[in-house]
Amino acid sequence: MRTPALLSLALSLLWRERSAAEVRTLFWSLLIAVSASCSIGFFSARLQEAMVLRASEFLAADLVLSGSQPASVAQIDKGQALGLQHAQSVEFPSMLASAQGLQLASVKAVAAPYPLRGELKSTPRRFAEEQAGGLPQPGELWAEARLAQALGIEPGARIEVGAIELTLTRLLTYEPDRAGDFYSLTPRALINLSDLAATQVVQPGSRVRYRDYWRGSAEAVLAYRQQTKPGLAAHQQLLDARGGNTQVGGALSRAERYLNLASLAALLLAGVAVALSASRFATRRYDTSALLRCFGLQRRQITQLFCIQLLALGLFASLLGALLGWLGHLGLLHLLGGLLPEELPAVGWLPALAGIASGLITLAGFALPPLLNLGRVSPLRVLRRDLQPLPVAAWLSYALAIAALGLIMWRLSLDWRLTLALLGGGLFACLLLGSLLWLALRSLRRILENATLSWRLGLGQLLRHPLAATGQAMAFGLILLAMGVIGLLRGELLDNWQNQLPSDAPNHFAMNILPEQRQAFVSALEQQGAQSQPLFPLVPGRLIAINQQAVQQLVSKDSQGERAIQRDLGLTWAGDLPAGNKLTAGTWLGTTRSGLPGVSVESKLAENLKIQLGDRLTFSIAGQTREVEVSSLREVDWDSFQPNFYMVFAPGVLDDLPLTYLTSFHLPKSQEDALLPLSRQFPSVTLLQVDAILEQLRSILAQVSLAVEYVLLFVLAAGLCVLFAGLQATLDERLKQGAILRALGSSRRLLQQARLREFALLGTSSGILAMLGCELVSYLLYHFVLDIAWQPHPWLLLLPLAGALLVSLAGSLGTRRVIHASPLSVLRES
Amino acid sequence: MSNSILSAQDLSKVVPVAEGELTLLHPLSLDLQAGDSLAIVGSSGSGKSTLLGLLAGLDLPSQGRIVLDGLELATLDEDQRAAVRAERVGFVFQSFQLIDSLSAWENVMLPLELAGRRDARAHAQQLLERVGLAQRLRHLPRQLSGGEQQRVALARAFACNPAILFADEPTGNLDSQTGERISDLLFELNREQGTTLVLVTHDERLAHRCHRQIRLEAGHLLASVEP
Repeated sequence: MRTPALLSLALSLLWRERSAAEVRTLFWSLLIAVSASCSIGFFSARLQEAMVLRASEFLAADLVLSGSQPASVAQIDKGQALGLQHAQSVEFPSMLASAQGLQLASVKAVAAPYPLRGELKSTPRRFAEEQAGGLPQPGELWAEARLAQALGIEPGARIEVGAIELTLTRLLTYEPDRAGDFYSLTPRALINLSDLAATQVVQPGSRVRYRDYWRGSAEAVLAYRQQTKPGLAAHQQLLDARGGNTQVGGALSRAERYLNLASLAALLLAGVAVALSASRFATRRYDTSALLRCFGLQRRQITQLFCIQLLALGLFASLLGALLGWLGHLGLLHLLGGLLPEELPAVGWLPALAGIASGLITLAGFALPPLLNLGRVSPLRVLRRDLQPLPVAAWLSYALAIAALGLIMWRLSLDWRLTLALLGGGLFACLLLGSLLWLALRSLRRILENATLSWRLGLGQLLRHPLAATGQAMAFGLILLAMGVIGLLRGELLDNWQNQLPSDAPNHFAMNILPEQRQAFVSALEQQGAQSQPLFPLVPGRLIAINQQAVQQLVSKDSQGERAIQRDLGLTWAGDLPAGNKLTAGTWLGTTRSGLPGVSVESKLAENLKIQLGDRLTFSIAGQTREVEVSSLREVDWDSFQPNFYMVFAPGVLDDLPLTYLTSFHLPKSQEDALLPLSRQFPSVTLLQVDAILEQLRSILAQVSLAVEYVLLFVLAAGLCVLFAGLQATLDERLKQGAILRALGSSRRLLQQARLREFALLGTSSGILAMLGCELVSYLLYHFVLDIAWQPHPWLLLLPLAGALLVSLAGSLGTRRVIHASPLSVLRES
Repeated sequence: MSNSILSAQDLSKVVPVAEGELTLLHPLSLDLQAGDSLAIVGSSGSGKSTLLGLLAGLDLPSQGRIVLDGLELATLDEDQRAAVRAERVGFVFQSFQLIDSLSAWENVMLPLELAGRRDARAHAQQLLERVGLAQRLRHLPRQLSGGEQQRVALARAFACNPAILFADEPTGNLDSQTGERISDLLFELNREQGTTLVLVTHDERLAHRCHRQIRLEAGHLLASVEP
């Protein structure tokens, strides 16, 4: 038979069988798999775009090109050719002078349309109402309140910046792209870019940071990124919303990971549904296959024929699924209308393509093994119907399913450790708990003999075929397990964010507290009802050498490492490991090999600067040099709004140097009036409000939390799909049994009771499996991946109940035909 | 007074099809006395099984009335008809129709339990011993041969001492030797219990063992023969 003829035969056979239950189930499983995957794909892509958009505010742009020298003309031309909006800033440290004093400041020269995302906020005088927008005009200077305070001036006063004098017109309260770096040590002064040349501060060799801000469509920004990245000079780097801010970046990547994991769970469940219905599809085609073999089709052609059918069905269901997924995500966006930005960026068709690909991969991985059996049906089956094909090797079935999962994991770029922990844990739980259930069902068999008819009818099937029943319970258990784990992770995710930003998260920083003011300041805070964090001693210092080698020669072109050596770091000391810090190597300020005092270094900075345990670090502090040895590396929770430090010294190393104290505290919004007396009482102390960034983070997290909750619905839909596919697989048997019982005179009530008992037991066993599996997976996950202390989750005890209810409900609905099975069918089958 | 156990008057069955209507059974009447045995014969598609389904109350006629043991089936709903079947009717099917998940014993107990009999277990055991399966009580249907499965089906059919027994090609799935033994057993049990028997069969020899025969062709009653 030629290929076109085979193709036409395959399609016409499929068309004729379109109303067959198993064809429909296969179609529906795939449709739900693809629409769930596409909905999640479209929704999370758009949500991520929206979140990136909000996060862009922390950069003041969509993309920032930053360097110690101006960007090249070609780099600027490229952006403008792509139609991107452009703004520039130049930042440099400079000593500012007023009639009353001098102060080192971080000066930033900007011009409209800066900022491209977000707005500057300022007040006309101290503690006046904050206003958004605007920019210092030529001749004007905006300064942070602590700078004005240090210089002893109020708005209206003149300030010398290099060679020119500018007028302080407003007090700067919020600068979008400084939000993530709000406890920088040097206070900010903002001037107009047109005044920069006249200051004559920026000379060859000056420490200057040039920034080019870009804003535009996601495609154009991406194009600019791709075109510019390969040609970046050694001093340049590109920053986007994901890498620009640790707090938002962390939240985004966690959310993304979660959404992808939920997507994997939905696909995995759909895969099981596809496997179940494909198996039924294949079993019901053994006769057709044997007949076609009799008619002269070769084995290979039989396999091709059914593969064409599978592909055609798969493509049709996937395309329709993608369309439904797209509509589904629109519905979801409509539901979340009030919470999302009005104009959500479009995301293209990539999620649809990815969803279709996932659907087809799932189909290939889970439906091919049973379908390959069809090629192995003996033509002799036309004479002997009991002849079964030799099944495809088990390893091939598993290998295909695992390969499919692997491909999907790769597409979702999931964390392999997390995924393996989940899959491995799930598999282990299945094997272990499945064996236990099998043993339990076997031992229950004896009890059944004396049970009433409805119990025997209901449970007979389960107990007489414990292996099949275990398989079914595990398939249903998998649904509950997937939903339980996703629910558990959701809880952890939300708790994590809740902990990160509790309602009493510090919303103010207090810096520059003099040692003699320390006690008085703490008491004053207590009096105002503010909740204060511990006070950390702070000594500004610069890292100048690692193992006696100048640090400039060692720095990689990495933002954090580079930034860390270009400015003073806040150095502190502590006897104990600060809260929220976690040792990753070495011992906390233990004895060192060289006998030098120990220092603990933040692990990411250590990685960037290639600092290892035992390295000697040299710091320049207040004109002196101090040498220390790295005794430990630490992970720091940058998401917390608490003072965090790159370097924590052993007590006694820095005590003799001039120091100030730093702390953060929470003051309710209603009590903000308390700030004024506080600042009057401690004029040298700099108070910094970080409410704006807190609120921005909270709103992002609220969006993500909501999305996370909705994603659970998709997993539930996929789970129900498995449930129905599983029920379909046993429907023929049930219909036959129902018809016999009806013919023998059984009432519908008896059938209903028996069915309910069966499903309740099946659901309860599935729930118990899922409960134990969930705890096992969560233990593996917490222990090996998330590094969270594991505790039992009592709410999981609800799973057996939920399983009983869910399976009973879906089972009763899915097999309602059994109740109405015509007793006449027992004659027809004869 | 007539001792009629089953009577059908002007019974017909018409089903809708794409082209309009298809008559499966043209109007026919018949009457069966208690203890009688009737064989319905005819070629495939002649309407034998349709008639059996109607007479047993598994389906309702398009026209006509059926009175089974004094009850007019058309006036009863499906659950009431099920109750009639449970109390008064036994069945034997060509493909045995045993419930796969129940043992031989439990399959025979089934109609007894449906009728609320307390001695279901003991009575089922006696019946299985009667059909020669005393050693196979706990076997599942798939562990039994075709002949053995049909014996279980016979034991089940006679379990409640039905007033009337309907058998649809009871030997159709068996080889001739086994078929012969099964039909012997069927008639023995029928005699012992004084049951009325309605039998659908292709097998002329089996048909001849009945008191009466009717022949159907294309839904028409061709002849009624009393051998």
